[in-house]
Amino acid sequence: MEEYRIGVYICWCGTNIAMMVDVEAVVEEIKKLPNVTIAKDYKYMCSDPGQDLIVKDIKEHHLNRIVVAACSPRMHEPTFRKALENAGLNPYFFEMANIREQVSWVHTDRIEATRKAKGLVAGAVKRVVHHKALNKRYVDIHPATLIIGAGVAGMSAALEIADSGQKVHLVEQCNQLGGMVRKVDLNYPYLNSSRQTISQLIKNTEEHPDIQIYTESKIDKISGYIGNFRALLSNHQEQRELEFGNILIATGLKSFDPSIIENYGYKRIPNVITSADFEKMLYSGLIHCENGKEPGNIAIIHCVGSRNENYHPYCSRTCCMTALKYINQISSAAPECNIYDIYADMRAIGKDCEELYASTSKKNVMFLMFDQQHDLPVIKQNGNGKTVSIEFTELLSGESIHIQANMVVLMTAVESQANNKEIAHLAGISTDKNGFFIEKHPKLDPVATTTEGVYIAGTCQSPKDIPDSIVQAKAAAARILATIAKGKVQVEVTTAQVNEDICCGCQCCASVCPYSAISYNEDKKVSEVNEILCKGCGTCASACPSGAIVSKHFTDNQILSQITGVLEMQIETA
Amino acid sequence: MENLVNPKLRDELKKFGVQDWEGCYHCGQCTANCPLTEQGQLFPRKDIRSMQMGLKKTLAGSLEPWLCYYCGDCSKECPRNANPGEMMMALRRYLTSVYDWTGISKLIYNSKIAEFALIFIIAALVLILSIIYSQVPDRSLWITPEGGVAINQFFPVEYVHFGDMVMFVLLAGLLISNIVNMYFKVIVNQGIKVHFINYFTEFWALIWNFISQKKFSKCDSKPYWYVHLFLVTAYVTLFVMVVAFLTWFQTDTIYAWYHPQRILGYYATLGLFAGTLYFIYQRSRKTKENSKHSHYTDWTFIVLLFLSTLSGILVHVFRINGMALATYYIYIAHLMILTPMLMIEVPFSKWSHLAYRPFAIYFARLKKAAENKQKEANMEATYKLKESIA
Repeated sequence: MEEYRIGVYICWCGTNIAMMVDVEAVVEEIKKLPNVTIAKDYKYMCSDPGQDLIVKDIKEHHLNRIVVAACSPRMHEPTFRKALENAGLNPYFFEMANIREQVSWVHTDRIEATRKAKGLVAGAVKRVVHHKALNKRYVDIHPATLIIGAGVAGMSAALEIADSGQKVHLVEQCNQLGGMVRKVDLNYPYLNSSRQTISQLIKNTEEHPDIQIYTESKIDKISGYIGNFRALLSNHQEQRELEFGNILIATGLKSFDPSIIENYGYKRIPNVITSADFEKMLYSGLIHCENGKEPGNIAIIHCVGSRNENYHPYCSRTCCMTALKYINQISSAAPECNIYDIYADMRAIGKDCEELYASTSKKNVMFLMFDQQHDLPVIKQNGNGKTVSIEFTELLSGESIHIQANMVVLMTAVESQANNKEIAHLAGISTDKNGFFIEKHPKLDPVATTTEGVYIAGTCQSPKDIPDSIVQAKAAAARILATIAKGKVQVEVTTAQVNEDICCGCQCCASVCPYSAISYNEDKKVSEVNEILCKGCGTCASACPSGAIVSKHFTDNQILSQITGVLEMQIETA
Repeated sequence: MENLVNPKLRDELKKFGVQDWEGCYHCGQCTANCPLTEQGQLFPRKDIRSMQMGLKKTLAGSLEPWLCYYCGDCSKECPRNANPGEMMMALRRYLTSVYDWTGISKLIYNSKIAEFALIFIIAALVLILSIIYSQVPDRSLWITPEGGVAINQFFPVEYVHFGDMVMFVLLAGLLISNIVNMYFKVIVNQGIKVHFINYFTEFWALIWNFISQKKFSKCDSKPYWYVHLFLVTAYVTLFVMVVAFLTWFQTDTIYAWYHPQRILGYYATLGLFAGTLYFIYQRSRKTKENSKHSHYTDWTFIVLLFLSTLSGILVHVFRINGMALATYYIYIAHLMILTPMLMIEVPFSKWSHLAYRPFAIYFARLKKAAENKQKEANMEATYKLKESIA
């Protein structure tokens, strides 16, 4: 049997740990444990001298297991694993005890905190002897990319990738490219034609030799894993199979239907229209009421379905600036028309948007503030049938007012596509409570997802404007090109493993796996884990009724011995 | 209809001196900085909002513009350079035209030509009356037996005094009817129920504020307030002497310099002269917030007041130096400036603030008293309700 030589390092974390934990007492107690060759304390274990200490000790004392008691493993587990690697030890012969977040920061009694720290470290010591060596694994990357959605984001990413000479499969469910932007007349803040902007992009995409476009197509199935995906694609005539290494989802979003908002009477009261309806009107070049006449008074209501718990809690991001665009377009088409802009907060985010607000406010427009949470305006049809009256409490004056208007434009919210759940399931990613795809990290990694090789861009992730969509699309393209350039990618090693001798083929594991990593082998009648898809979350291992699945690095043995270690120390120091 | 948003009011208000509509984004910095605003009388932000929205009724019922004395702190601190102080000034001009039922005020504020035409018509009328009633060709009047200038015989003082009284009645009638109009707009139409007794208990505030300009003194610019108070006292002194005691004030006999007639006259003249010069200087320099922006009516007022004073001084100088003909001509000129100035400025234009300001304070106190009464009644009702439940 292997002789275990454990090195234990207790970190002070400056005063963060040392102020509440008697670090030296912990060292003394741990020294007594079996297999512990050396135990030391140090001011900052994560510092270079701290890491060098570990490396030096491993070499000098022939240590083969290391325990560090410091902060949460989230930040520094990789740091210390690297140190083990540098000393020629397998990085998984390492265990971390969290005595900062779980001890010093949350306790006020130094004696009890010290006792708890001793327990946690003892647990780690007891556990680390059961650690097995795990090795890094790599998979090759198929150089093609699948992009779902040919809106402004999808096309931008496709061009970016294809321009570097890589193949792109661009799938679009409509019969033409362009997405939402195609339906917009002018875009803010410079009020230039969206048609021109988008048509150039469409032309470049269509003419690109490395972009294969599939319109009126949908994806039936995606299988495989990063670097080696396959998808089944169908249109009304045929079904085909594609192979690719990365997926970019850029499916965009859709408009909210305001007819469920009772106060606004959309579809019930004539001349109450949505921003999409108004956009069509602008596109056709004529602003008119239902009787064909030009309106003398137009009201624009913001936040229709946005920022309200009853509809959508989020900000739809583009409606404020779109409303300003409308004001500009109305006042150039009908300078005499009175415009009432009924807003909740004017959100002029983005380059030159505040400037657009400043210049728009000089037009024939009156900005009136309402409470989008508790007091939505009420639109009523007047007896004459030609005008409507809008009643609400104006927040800046505190007055209950009413407005007579010939036309009301509702700045409708945007919402996630109805089939996002389906796409999420196909690609093995998740959606948030509003149906938008969830990014890997909201700040540090907003283009990747929790599934390796699957990226998101544009408004399918959250509402955003054209430049932001393109930024995200190009960022995703850069990430994809980086993996293609590397040719292979490192994958998770702490995965689940099926003991085929015990597995009864009940497939409980497959039904709980959030990453679609488990499949059923019909021939052997057992479940199989695709180690590349598996994230090592351990859900299957706990669900397996026969104990046939083992989560590597989180085996029953390892966890139980850790618990034993903690409890023994608690009894001893009681 | 009530509280209908009216985008057209902006165009109307522009004529009263509002320059920038879009500047204000309602941060409230102005109200926070104002030394005079208080709970229940918040300005200037709220009034600016009502102006932007064209809420005619709310504006007509607003007393706050008169409670502002334009120290200019709000404009100085405004992060958007929206000029709240000048907007309040413009609102006072607008309200002056709102209270005036004859429509003359609106005419004056909206048209320079109309204002100057009115001045010339009244001046011409005075000239005609002077030609009819004065004895100018009579050379015997050039020098009195005592050797002085016979101004009271040249233009019989009884006639002037009579004209004086007629003008006084006319001015008072117009001003009072405008104040009644104001009362209806700010109290009655706003549905405020004032307890009868409060009309009397709060009346002292009107008198006290008229005399002391107390509220004004809370504004930061002290020298301005002193000059203004000097001007007010000077004007009141002169007004009382001319209207009530003209026969005592305007004599052909030249008294010694320390005679109360002359002392009071010099005090009033000095006040008016220094005051008008100071304000002309400030308006030309445009360094202070409250003098940066001048509507043409502001200039008409101050220039007419200055010319009245100057011609008055000349009358006095010529008279005591025995320069008869010069005195007579300048006396008629003096009347020709003074009369239109009073006729236009007091009931219809800038000078009406002498009545609106103290009355606004009075009405504001009535409003507050009514509100307190209402609060008490509400509390009592709640208490009774609680008691009955218990």
